[in-house]
Amino acid sequence: MDNLIGQGRAAIGMIVDPDSFKEGVVGDLNITDPEFGPGAVIGTAMLKGETCTVIANDAMTVNPKFPVVYAGIIGMEEGYKMALAVYNSIKADKDRPLGKKRPILLIVDTPGNGPGKQEEIFGMNKATGAYQLALAEARKEGHPIVAMVVGRAISGAFLCHGLQADHILSLSAEFSTQIHVMPITSISRITKLDIEWLQELAKSNPVFAAGPNFFFKLGGVEEIIDSIEAMRDRIVAHVAQVRVLKLAGKNDELGPWGRGTLGVERGGRKTRAKVIEVMNEEFAAVADRYLK
Amino acid sequence: MSNKWDTLQSQSFLECNARQRAVGLVDAGTFTEFIGPKDRMSSPHLPLMGEAIEFDDGIVTGVGLIGKRPVFVASQEGRFIGGAVGEVHGAKLVNIVRIARESYDKMLAANPKLPEGKRPAVVISFDTGGVRLHEANAGLLAHAELMDQFQDCKGKVPVISVIGSRVGCFGGMGFVAAATDVIIMSPLGRLGLTGPEVIEQEMGKDEFDASDRGMVYRTTGGKHKYIMGDCNVLVADSIEAFRKALGEVLAKPYADLAAMRRIGSLEKVQYQLKLVDLCVKIAPKDSKDVWKYAGNKNPDALVDMPLDLFLKTAERLKIA
Repeated sequence: MDNLIGQGRAAIGMIVDPDSFKEGVVGDLNITDPEFGPGAVIGTAMLKGETCTVIANDAMTVNPKFPVVYAGIIGMEEGYKMALAVYNSIKADKDRPLGKKRPILLIVDTPGNGPGKQEEIFGMNKATGAYQLALAEARKEGHPIVAMVVGRAISGAFLCHGLQADHILSLSAEFSTQIHVMPITSISRITKLDIEWLQELAKSNPVFAAGPNFFFKLGGVEEIIDSIEAMRDRIVAHVAQVRVLKLAGKNDELGPWGRGTLGVERGGRKTRAKVIEVMNEEFAAVADRYLK
Repeated sequence: MSNKWDTLQSQSFLECNARQRAVGLVDAGTFTEFIGPKDRMSSPHLPLMGEAIEFDDGIVTGVGLIGKRPVFVASQEGRFIGGAVGEVHGAKLVNIVRIARESYDKMLAANPKLPEGKRPAVVISFDTGGVRLHEANAGLLAHAELMDQFQDCKGKVPVISVIGSRVGCFGGMGFVAAATDVIIMSPLGRLGLTGPEVIEQEMGKDEFDASDRGMVYRTTGGKHKYIMGDCNVLVADSIEAFRKALGEVLAKPYADLAAMRRIGSLEKVQYQLKLVDLCVKIAPKDSKDVWKYAGNKNPDALVDMPLDLFLKTAERLKIA
């Protein structure tokens, strides 16, 4: 197998303990309808003997109710189904101590959110937003969340399924993994900038170009993994690292804010930190006038 | 158009620029801007691509007062690259929300009985198509940071969206707005995830004809979002109307504002799933199909109905 694009289901089996994945079940949740949000696979598995929630994309199916949902696209039903899996994970571990909250594993291979008229009439923005808020809540409740990009992690769909994780890992570009908002060909077309020139510019500025290495430089992914076999052990290691930081109360070193700091360390996203610093200073100078 | 507070009030919200909206939405003379044009904190990436910059990177951030409440404001400028979010723009937006929440934590630590009317709030005036392609990766990451900050605000700082500007609120910013506590729109405001042009390009003209302006407004406009329950308060297109609505919303107890959310809990998700089932059941070709289902016998009449009458007449979608 050259890559795992479209192989979200197979990837689950490569990562969790053998034969441990129970699809559709998370705590009190038990989804038995095969036509309910089939583009999203949710369930419970064991990871090195520990109960863990798994959320993945299934690119090999279509949602019979929503024709725009195929090839791993996250539609309205998929977004809410993923959110249900997260909320039920939180609920199931409500009384467990911080160090014992179940990890949530996101296996990422999605090309987008459902782009249809019915989706806009009923509000696709709510479905993808609901899932992100659920993940952010779970992260702050102490669940270690690790995302593993095995295929496509495109734009809003990556925001939805991936970018709220504590740590994000990606298979390297040799596995045809794609992380971007838009391929450079489309950026060239829309901005009317020469494609070869853009490709040259991308070498020194990772801020717009497509690919896991650019996201790595920006602090957008924590680690790039260069073999399929290594995924399982690296995920287990990251769950443990994340847990140590959570127990130490270092939540600002995790998730989106932590990746902001990482962007400075790796030199790809330095202006953000300057903006924050200056704004904090300017506010401090007038804070007494406003906070009474 | 002058930036004086008094003259701004009667102005069209749609026509106002980001700074005018920021100044006019809070009490007269109370707005202080952070990272304003004088700081010249512009995008370092745009010049590399030969693109023009703005000294505020297309967003005005600062603090003002509404009554005794410190209100942290972010206001996007759609006239600059469609209000799109790049590294600087995104950092300003993310950090104003973070400052509001940190201020809350400090104030409540000093005085746990601080009345709600003196606690910080956040107001975001959206005018954006989402990620700025010239610095797309940084813009994308800023969206995730914003959702993270919103979650930190839960239970503490109300976050209010105001949407009534020319570009509307689309792309990733569409779900950012959906994740706030309260959404105030004018009938000219538009809210969605995938813009009409993108749907047409991806799915074809049969799915969505982006040149059909009536269809565009019926699908994403303020009146439709109000009927759907996605917009909580629908107001006229003036700075004053938005400011008054904002004042009324912020006068409510926090628990009432939290109840106005669309998403953000298991129960809210379960309710939204009922709406998804309804979508399958009625398979709307047009928003008017849903308006009719909601109990509006003559949906065509709602399209151009004056706002006052619309607010009295329109039936909003409710399902058991």
